[in-house]
Amino acid sequence: MAGSPPNPPASAGPQPVFAVRDLDVTYLTKYRPPFQAVKKATLEIAPGEIVGLVGESGSGKSTLGNAAIHLIEPPGTITGGSVLFDGQDITRYTEDQMRPLRWKEIATVFQSSMNSLNPVINIERQFQDAIQAHTGMSDAECRTRIAELLEMVTIDPSFMRFFPHELSGGMKQRVAIALALALDPTFVLLDEPTTGLDVVVQKSILRNLKEIQRTHGFSVLFISHDLGAIMEIADRVIVMYNGELVDTQPTSHLLTANLHPYSRSLLNAYRELWGVPPDATTSAMVDAVASHQDVPVTTVDAHVPGEEAIAPTDHAVAAEESDLERRKRDRRRAGVAGSGEVVLDVRDIVKTYTRRRGFTSTTVDAVQHVSFRLERGKITALVGQSGSGKSTIGRLVTGVERADSGAVTFTDSQAKRMVDVGALKGRALKNYRRHAQLVFQDPYSALNPAHTIAHSLMRPLRNYRKMGAGQARAEAMAMLEQVGLTPADRFIDKYPHQVSGGQRQRVVVARALAPQPEILIADEPTSMLDVSIRAEILELLNDLVRDHNLAMLYITHDLLSARILSDEILVLNKGRVVESGIAEQVIEDPQDDYTELLLASIPNPFAPAASPAD
Amino acid sequence: MALDTRGFAVPDATPSQKPESPVESPLQEEERRSRVAAPGWLKILWQNRKSRVGLALLAIFAILAIFAPVIAPYGPHDTQFFPSEQPSSAHWLGTTQAGEDILSQLIWGARTSLLVGLFAGFFSTVIGLVIGMIAGYAGGWIDDILSFFINLALVIPTLPLMITLSAYSQITGIAFIIFVISVTGWGWGARVKRSQIITLRERDYITASLFAGDSMVRIVFREIMPNMMSLVVASFIGAAGAAIGSEAGLAFLGLGDPMTVSWGTMLNWANNSGAMLTGQWAWLVAPGLALALLITSLTLINFGVDAISNPHLREE
Repeated sequence: MAGSPPNPPASAGPQPVFAVRDLDVTYLTKYRPPFQAVKKATLEIAPGEIVGLVGESGSGKSTLGNAAIHLIEPPGTITGGSVLFDGQDITRYTEDQMRPLRWKEIATVFQSSMNSLNPVINIERQFQDAIQAHTGMSDAECRTRIAELLEMVTIDPSFMRFFPHELSGGMKQRVAIALALALDPTFVLLDEPTTGLDVVVQKSILRNLKEIQRTHGFSVLFISHDLGAIMEIADRVIVMYNGELVDTQPTSHLLTANLHPYSRSLLNAYRELWGVPPDATTSAMVDAVASHQDVPVTTVDAHVPGEEAIAPTDHAVAAEESDLERRKRDRRRAGVAGSGEVVLDVRDIVKTYTRRRGFTSTTVDAVQHVSFRLERGKITALVGQSGSGKSTIGRLVTGVERADSGAVTFTDSQAKRMVDVGALKGRALKNYRRHAQLVFQDPYSALNPAHTIAHSLMRPLRNYRKMGAGQARAEAMAMLEQVGLTPADRFIDKYPHQVSGGQRQRVVVARALAPQPEILIADEPTSMLDVSIRAEILELLNDLVRDHNLAMLYITHDLLSARILSDEILVLNKGRVVESGIAEQVIEDPQDDYTELLLASIPNPFAPAASPAD
Repeated sequence: MALDTRGFAVPDATPSQKPESPVESPLQEEERRSRVAAPGWLKILWQNRKSRVGLALLAIFAILAIFAPVIAPYGPHDTQFFPSEQPSSAHWLGTTQAGEDILSQLIWGARTSLLVGLFAGFFSTVIGLVIGMIAGYAGGWIDDILSFFINLALVIPTLPLMITLSAYSQITGIAFIIFVISVTGWGWGARVKRSQIITLRERDYITASLFAGDSMVRIVFREIMPNMMSLVVASFIGAAGAAIGSEAGLAFLGLGDPMTVSWGTMLNWANNSGAMLTGQWAWLVAPGLALALLITSLTLINFGVDAISNPHLREE
């Protein structure tokens, strides 16, 4: 049991369909040192097996996937090893030799492949192109085949005549999957096929995919950063870290097996989200990691690659600490959240969008009669699927848009007056924004790539707090320290692309705090981050709310994070609040069907039934 | 995946996002050092083969222009030579009908062309930038009004307008030529910048600037513009090329400043004195070729500028 992680399982069974052996992939550029993205990767996929490949962004998992099916493009280069498909080494194949294999034998669904559908031809034509390129099917035969395929992914065949833009995101993704399966391939590469879709849609696509796979028996390599999704569908899970495959385990053993420290911290990050205590068998390990940072290197497996780069403190300890933090917060909740000082009062707001298309106009009721209050020191979560109106509420609350009816009232405690947010314009709106700041969803687009972190942080200080350049810089340093970017002088003059995603999000949070606001609106602040960093950012937000006695509106589609962060939850469905109440109560005892649906859709690796491997 | 190709003005994109380790990787280290040594954009320009050729060509013209008094064998208006001579060792490109040395005129002419290209290109870029950026960012009625003027500048035939302006003006001289070219040539630049800013203003970091309390002018010119710098540079180079062409055209039509030597006026004189008939091919070909080469060099440089804004085009 003591891990021999990177080795493939003893394959006494059938000949693998797909085997990657000692694959090295390097990005070779003329003017920069080579960057090895995949190091000695070895994996095998048996016929009819679903293998999940999980790793953080930048871990090299997509590079591995693309290289494996001969799709890597310069500067990416295979610098060693082989890829065997049906016993043939396809790394040496020319494009012409690959072509007959593609789609017919090896199919793929790319990351955000819903955007890969050609927008100017309808669904039927997309299928026809692929099918007729490889087979001699007539149009009529083709049509019956397409109908079959669409039914397979639970789309009505009548949708064939539609164009991609007329379908929803989830439907497009299903079409992309059906398209990949059009020629009954033996091997399918799925690269983040459900990323970007909300949990309810993800759940149904995964379930659907699994069913099709059972009946057709093709093999799958499923690449995702989402361990939950992978554990739901895969027979075997491979964990990738820093270009190396650090763990290979049957899904059913993943929770009990002796894992590489990185995999453990990943699992613990999930436990954290589910509120499951770190597993007893592994928590002893994690403690060991926490106390002696170098321990895992020697005790777990002397040959574990890349352990020095893991600097396990980051991940492993974070999981352990944040658990403590959670308890701390629970204590805080009892003390502070009772102050009941209302900062923002949202009463009965309605927002309707009218879209004109041709001669008809359709109205969308984005927000319907929503009321809530934000109190000092308290976190209120707005939870709902995409399209539920939660982001619209965020825009109404910050004065970016105006409600059709109802009122958003801000109580300015310094000026001792009430402000009607909906009526603000120009300078008054600017003044209001000093008090209501926004934390953005995507840390990669929320910081201006042309300016340093110092610049981004100093602007609000100079504008709102009228600081001079020197003073603002000193304050910016202090803010960085406050959000955990220490030492600050290491970060302050960096450009956003020079720091990691989690660090960027910390900068975004620091900037929102700079004008000393009273309300913080966080719109999906963790959804673009890797799971291992999510907990850290949530902790940070939580601590800041406590330390600065802020009111916070936490907008998310993720009920789990809402539970561990917020005090109160409002569940939104189609612009209506369907349920609201104390966070724990809503999660543990949901009253509304929709809340239950949302909860049931979150992949839960720790539920007793979640062992799809058998 | 391993190449993060976001950032627009970012000169060097680091491959892949690093795991959260406070230790600076050798790559980042290397990058920082290179930032100090040479500006990243210049490095990218030089890496691109086409733009390297362009830069070299342009450098030659610039040297000719700057050191014209030293390089040119005679003065451009020096009429002491025997007229209409064929190329010889004394006069490499021959002499004009008025007895001037053609090679010297060619070298002095580089001054005019580069001067016009630089200033007219600059002014028309600035006009286009201000109008296009404000129109695109402000939207609404401001955009309607400014767009009207942009469209006006685009639909009015430029050459006849330039001819009319220069034909009826009382003042002559290079400054006036620059003025005429600037006020007639900003339309496309404004249109392109307007559409670019419309895509950029929706970015989160612009909303963030609003929340940070920045004013509109600040957001447009300090937050957005650095992110479209390569577009600004590209349109400046394009405008410079067009201005050089326009100046030559005007001068060729006899609407230039007769007192300044430019390639356009040279062509005009060559044409008027029937250089083609007398077989003085060098008189015709030399200024035409010089013009073509200068404009080509600018176009080649623009390939490199493209690579700055789009990392996929870099020759790595």
